Amino acid sequence: MLLTVKNLKKYFPQKSGLFSKPALPIKAVDDCSFTLEKNEVLGLVGESGCGKSTAGRCILRLTEPTAGSIHFDNRDLLALSSGELKDIRKTMQIIFQDPLSSLNPRMTVGGIIEEPLIVHHRGSPIERKEAVAALLDKVGLPQSALNRYPHEFSGGQCQRIGIARALALKPQLIIADEPVSALDVSIQAQIINLMIALKEELSLSYLFISHDLSVVKHISDRIAVMYLGKIVEIGPAQQICLDPLHPYTKALISVIPEPSLHRSQKKTILQGDIPSPARPPSGCAFHTRCPVAKEECKKREPILEEKRSGRSVSCLYVNKKV
Amino acid sequence: MRKSKSLTQKALTELGRDKLAMISFAIIAAYILIALLIQTNLLNLPIHDTVGESYEKPSWAHILGTDIFGRDVFIRVIYGVKISMSIGFITTLIAVPIGIVLGALAGFFGGRIDDFIVWIYSTFSSIPYLLLLLALALVLGKGIFSVYIALGVTSWVGICRVVRGEFIKYRERDYVTAAHALGAGPLRIIFRHILPNVLPLIFINASLLFVSAIKAEVILSYIGVGVQGKPSWGNMISDAKLELVGRGVYWQFLGATCAMFIIVLAFNIFSDALRDSFDPRISNKTKER
Repeated sequence: MLLTVKNLKKYFPQKSGLFSKPALPIKAVDDCSFTLEKNEVLGLVGESGCGKSTAGRCILRLTEPTAGSIHFDNRDLLALSSGELKDIRKTMQIIFQDPLSSLNPRMTVGGIIEEPLIVHHRGSPIERKEAVAALLDKVGLPQSALNRYPHEFSGGQCQRIGIARALALKPQLIIADEPVSALDVSIQAQIINLMIALKEELSLSYLFISHDLSVVKHISDRIAVMYLGKIVEIGPAQQICLDPLHPYTKALISVIPEPSLHRSQKKTILQGDIPSPARPPSGCAFHTRCPVAKEECKKREPILEEKRSGRSVSCLYVNKKV
Repeated sequence: MRKSKSLTQKALTELGRDKLAMISFAIIAAYILIALLIQTNLLNLPIHDTVGESYEKPSWAHILGTDIFGRDVFIRVIYGVKISMSIGFITTLIAVPIGIVLGALAGFFGGRIDDFIVWIYSTFSSIPYLLLLLALALVLGKGIFSVYIALGVTSWVGICRVVRGEFIKYRERDYVTAAHALGAGPLRIIFRHILPNVLPLIFINASLLFVSAIKAEVILSYIGVGVQGKPSWGNMISDAKLELVGRGVYWQFLGATCAMFIIVLAFNIFSDALRDSFDPRISNKTKER
């Protein structure tokens, strides 16, 4: 197991005003557990604001989790000293949603890709130059990009630069935080295919965070669906897409646009807004928007348990058939 | 292959096209040149020599006439350039590093460090500016040196505030997060990733600070706690207040005011243009026009 996340919680305390009641913390990630195998892609999907990015950033220790444990390669990430943390950062990297804003506008592309090597004192300047050239090749950018600046490139090209930077230290795990959401559909496919090719070539693992199930479906081996800081369903990608069990997953799958003349199934459009993560609803957090909710759902909180082999669902009304 | 330009190069090219800004720049450069020539004694001005009668009117021999002791006012105005420029320069040199360091620490680290630094500059800025200058000038003794110190230690607040705000803005940028994820330390992130992006704004603020230091010296000298025994513009305007009403001697007042007016205007136009050229939104707008 490359990555094991157990009971991860991240609560953001809210500042309360001088005269107002003490504010409740925002439960961005509330008790999430999942695992990631070597060379596997885990898709993490959910609406915006459900805590998927926060979960990714907690794994990278870019935000400090409130509680829980994260083990990477059998090392407890939350117990590392700052020196050990710097060392382990080589093995896990991040790709961002907005390609242009993830690159420093005042650095050349060569400088951006070389920086990880400088930070970790890898090689002589000449060796680094060679490494940067090889990385540019690997992500499909011309060598002439070296001395140019990020603003001269298109979104897709910028994302390739971001990928090259992430690959520079030869990581094992890449957290891709909505890597294609800001790109045109045609470019999305190119970047996804590049990521798949790189995964095979360098035996990478991805935690692929996205709100777009149709993209996640394409790249992931397994999918975890998040709602309001909690994982509501996790399992193999194929099965989840063909036979979703949780009503929330069902709703998400039903609205994936399909290129077909006949509408195969009825779309379930969820009503209402996502509730505030500071005051999650009682019982099942999804009951306020669930099309099949019953009285019981308001009172009893479901737990994420294995309902089919390899598939866990957190819903009171999905029967166990293992 | 097309030559690629960094953002700074682009901004400077744009600035070069702005004629008004370039004229202002030339004026600033001329003032600096005069100040340097006087400072290095290459231009030795007879500021204390009596060249004519008391209160001679402007003539070809003395363009701005003479003062009460028959000294050439034009020469004294020119000498005032050196005083003003040195005050602008040294004040900026003291205030900008303080502002950058404190602003960067507060903005980057946040938390208690931020609270502490904000507390310091709020305290500083809640004391009336002129009163603080006066108190410092009196404690340190009159003279140009105490003007440097007094202006230097009181005028870092503006820069500090700007730098802090920018650091708060930039520390959340994705490329800063990326640098954290790479394992880059705080020094590297501050100096390689954030400061270069804040630098244009610091330049603009420094040039505005330069102007306000020049004006502050004039005010301090006017009320008698500024430069002593040397012809600064403030001293000259202060001297002129009695002459102007009683005798109609306008030239000393006119000379000092004009010299100050020109440099202040040039600095304001130049820093405005500097800001415009470094702000991508504004530069797009001028292109459309």
